[in-house]
Amino acid sequence: MTTAAHPGLDPANRPEKIMQGSLTPLSVLGPQAEDERQRIRKKFEAGGSAQETLNALCELADRIALQIFGEVLRVHNAAPQGLGLVALGGYGRRLLFPYSDLDILFLFGNEKAETDFRPLIAEFSRTLWDLGFRVSSAGRTLEECKRIEEDNAEFHLALLDRRFLAGDEELFERLTKKVLLGPEKQARPFMLAEVTKLTRERHARYGNTIYHLEPNVKDAPGGLRDYQAAAWLRQIVNGQKEGLKNTAGEEELAANAVDFLSAIRCFLHYSNARNDNTLTYELQSAAAERSLGVFDGSARNVKRSPEEWMRLYFRQARVLNRLLLRYIEQRPAAQPSFRKRLLSVARGPRSEIGKGKPFAVRDGLLEVVDEPALSDRQVTFALFTEAARTGVPLSREAERAIAYILKHPELPQKNTQVNWATLREILSSDYPSMALRSMQRLSLLIDVLPEFKVIDSLVVRDFYHRYTVDEHSLRTIEHLQELAEPPDERAAHFRQLWKTVERRDLLILALLLHDVGKGMAVENHVTGSLEALESAATRLRLSEYETAEVHFLIEHHLDMSATVQRRDIFDPGTVSVFADTVATQERLQRLCLMTYADIHAVNPEALTPWKAEMLWQLFVATSNHFSRTLDRDRLHASDEVSLLEEVSRQAGGASKAEVERFLEGFPRRYRSVHTAAEITAHFLLYRKLGTEPVQTELSARHHSFSLTLLTADRPALFATISGVLAGWGMNIVKADAFANAAGVVLDTFQFIDLHHTLELNPSEIERFQKGLADVVNGKAPLEPLLKARESASRARPPKVAVETRLNYDDTSSAQSTLLEIMAQDRPGLLYDIGSALARLGCNIDVALIDTEGQKAIDVFYLTERGKKLSLPKQELLREVLQSMLT
Amino acid sequence: MMKIEAIIQPSRFESVKDALREIGIEGMTVTEVRGHGRQKGHTEVYRGREYTVDLLPKLKLEMVLPDPLVQRAVDTILKTAKTGKIGDGKIFLSRVEEAIRIRNEERGENAL
Repeated sequence: MTTAAHPGLDPANRPEKIMQGSLTPLSVLGPQAEDERQRIRKKFEAGGSAQETLNALCELADRIALQIFGEVLRVHNAAPQGLGLVALGGYGRRLLFPYSDLDILFLFGNEKAETDFRPLIAEFSRTLWDLGFRVSSAGRTLEECKRIEEDNAEFHLALLDRRFLAGDEELFERLTKKVLLGPEKQARPFMLAEVTKLTRERHARYGNTIYHLEPNVKDAPGGLRDYQAAAWLRQIVNGQKEGLKNTAGEEELAANAVDFLSAIRCFLHYSNARNDNTLTYELQSAAAERSLGVFDGSARNVKRSPEEWMRLYFRQARVLNRLLLRYIEQRPAAQPSFRKRLLSVARGPRSEIGKGKPFAVRDGLLEVVDEPALSDRQVTFALFTEAARTGVPLSREAERAIAYILKHPELPQKNTQVNWATLREILSSDYPSMALRSMQRLSLLIDVLPEFKVIDSLVVRDFYHRYTVDEHSLRTIEHLQELAEPPDERAAHFRQLWKTVERRDLLILALLLHDVGKGMAVENHVTGSLEALESAATRLRLSEYETAEVHFLIEHHLDMSATVQRRDIFDPGTVSVFADTVATQERLQRLCLMTYADIHAVNPEALTPWKAEMLWQLFVATSNHFSRTLDRDRLHASDEVSLLEEVSRQAGGASKAEVERFLEGFPRRYRSVHTAAEITAHFLLYRKLGTEPVQTELSARHHSFSLTLLTADRPALFATISGVLAGWGMNIVKADAFANAAGVVLDTFQFIDLHHTLELNPSEIERFQKGLADVVNGKAPLEPLLKARESASRARPPKVAVETRLNYDDTSSAQSTLLEIMAQDRPGLLYDIGSALARLGCNIDVALIDTEGQKAIDVFYLTERGKKLSLPKQELLREVLQSMLT
Repeated sequence: MMKIEAIIQPSRFESVKDALREIGIEGMTVTEVRGHGRQKGHTEVYRGREYTVDLLPKLKLEMVLPDPLVQRAVDTILKTAKTGKIGDGKIFLSRVEEAIRIRNEERGENAL
């Protein structure tokens, strides 16, 4: 064979003259070495183990190196005193891959020896090179070995694997037993830090994930280098009193993983004829074909698809990666085994968990302080929820403790069923992936969401994606999480969206499931993902609304990027069509975030600033489209056949004509933002208007209350309701006002109970609702309520000053003038604005109230006697509001 | 040999690419670019915040072609990238002295 790796075997290049007089000339040694290499290769290809192959290659290298060394000494008429040959790194460990370097240290007794032996070792290295060995050599005197080279930690690590090869053995003994004894002990903290640092850098080069479509089996996370780094850590630490310990089971798993990966690496070297460790698609197929790495007789004969075989690969890589990361985190401590700790508790009376939680944060990691408590799955999930809430990851030791319980069903376990409420809490937190990652590593994710299993470690071959399907899905969630502190400019726009988006849990669930169809036998993966949603929604008992929202996101998860890339987003027609598909602002926000995350997680370069900008443009245009065209379309109830039927049925067989009267003339947005069930509830309130002219409904939502109020339109209604809420000390964060053709007004307010009045005193709820109805009906005055509040609340200076801005838009709506107000948020603000509008005779057709931190962003659709506001009226209103708000 | 640089609307890219493929042109370099000519940027308001779109997103296609193909390529791009509105883009043509394939050092049109 004549390749770049074996340069010397070309007969034209053989420098035989240097070996004149030697017993075995190169012309003999060369072919002998090559024959031996071929024999080793054939044995491997016939099913030999990687271990045998590596040892055989190492023996061959040893034999040849020894022989050459001896002959070079003889030709130079030299004795080896003062020169030792030391094998380092993989060669030192007797694990030599077919095209790996031969790491050799020339150890000199002193500087004179170094000068004397220089020509000799040059000849030695050259000869080995010519025989097809890639020698990678270093030379040090004994004295030099004492020094820690801080910029060359790799050398010191390679030295940990030293093995005497030839020459002055006493020199080697002195090196090991005297020279290195002190420095190696002293350098322990440095070496530990260096292994950690080198590992972090190496992992970062590979995006910190095992799950590459074409992984590098040596250097990527989960590669052989991980095992080696773990071995170094163990070697360094075990010099101390308390070592890093594994259970026998863990040792066996790691040994199997090393065998599996070593077999692949041998195969890659042979197939590529060089030291190339990338497991490409082509070689994945070839490896799967021969069940590479599978040594179990019966398992070997099972035919595996490349996808299935890659799953075996990832499973092994996970073992090595987990081992290393655990070592890196671990502060070793002498502890009894898990089994002992668990069984002692299971047998005896159960001890109290203690006052605190069964877990605690130590060195920035969540640790389990009460391992027996983990036998209650609720505790395990409380741990995940804590991680998702705080962003503090579980330590590997904590995961190991959970894994131990999961793997031993004979240990007592309870509450093993996880419900949607628990999962929802995790998914709606600020750091959902902190929990999801641990859950995935422990196979608890597929326990809760079995639909995810089909994409577990799934390689789908395209040249666009870089990661396996499950990894891609989890990455999408991480990219959203990062938005809390945007890592770059392209993310900055999306930050606000992430902060304010409602029902994050639905978005995250959609992201988990959006590509699940890729693991199913369906033509279009979206169809499969929707099927998966159906089964998950039924099992987890998602509400109709929740299912519909997640369904929408999965079904349309490619629409926004398709629109951005294939349509002219500056064409209002494009925006209008897209807006019709999306229908509501809430969906738009979630879909935009989903698209951002989905593109971002394909590969690190996929979301270019250009694409992010386009996506943002489409979002802005669609969002503006929603708020500006909101009153353009009104519902024609007679066209809404299915809705009429549904509401009439849900309302216990109400007449369709009655439902039609109620719905007629509401803005289309009303239909988009409310489900049929909610509309039915509104209709039921509407029917009661005959007996009581103001109908209200109050419900507690996530950290806030939602108020629905139905009544006949009357002057200053919006201002009055705002006033009552302000009087009770409620902070309005969102409001919608709709009116139907018959002049029935339906207002919804979402507010925060600042002083927890309603939350802590449920009896007050009734008084609140009655008081509200009385004020709206004119039975009670509003002023005393407001006065009482004024004296109770001391004005606090705002943390962020917001400049007041007023804008009119006379073009966006056919019937109304739009007034956009941006101002400093404060209690009672909406009441003040609403009252000013009422005083000046402005009628509010639609109100969109939103709050962003300390900034109130309100849009009102205003009319005056059914027409747009006149210019003088606009000016007057501007003056009044400006002076009031500044 | 001529080099064609075409600045087009991103939304027209798929059509332009397909049309070029039909006349046998498969190799091109595509770059995401931003810029504006007479079609100036505009201002959007989103939630009370003004948001300026100074530079509009466009795609730049570059290809070097033997002379006989150039006119057909230009015609194809004109036909498929045109929407008739401001902002459809521009085509620039320039002469290319030499092309060299790095792998085997082939020169001239053979290297295209």
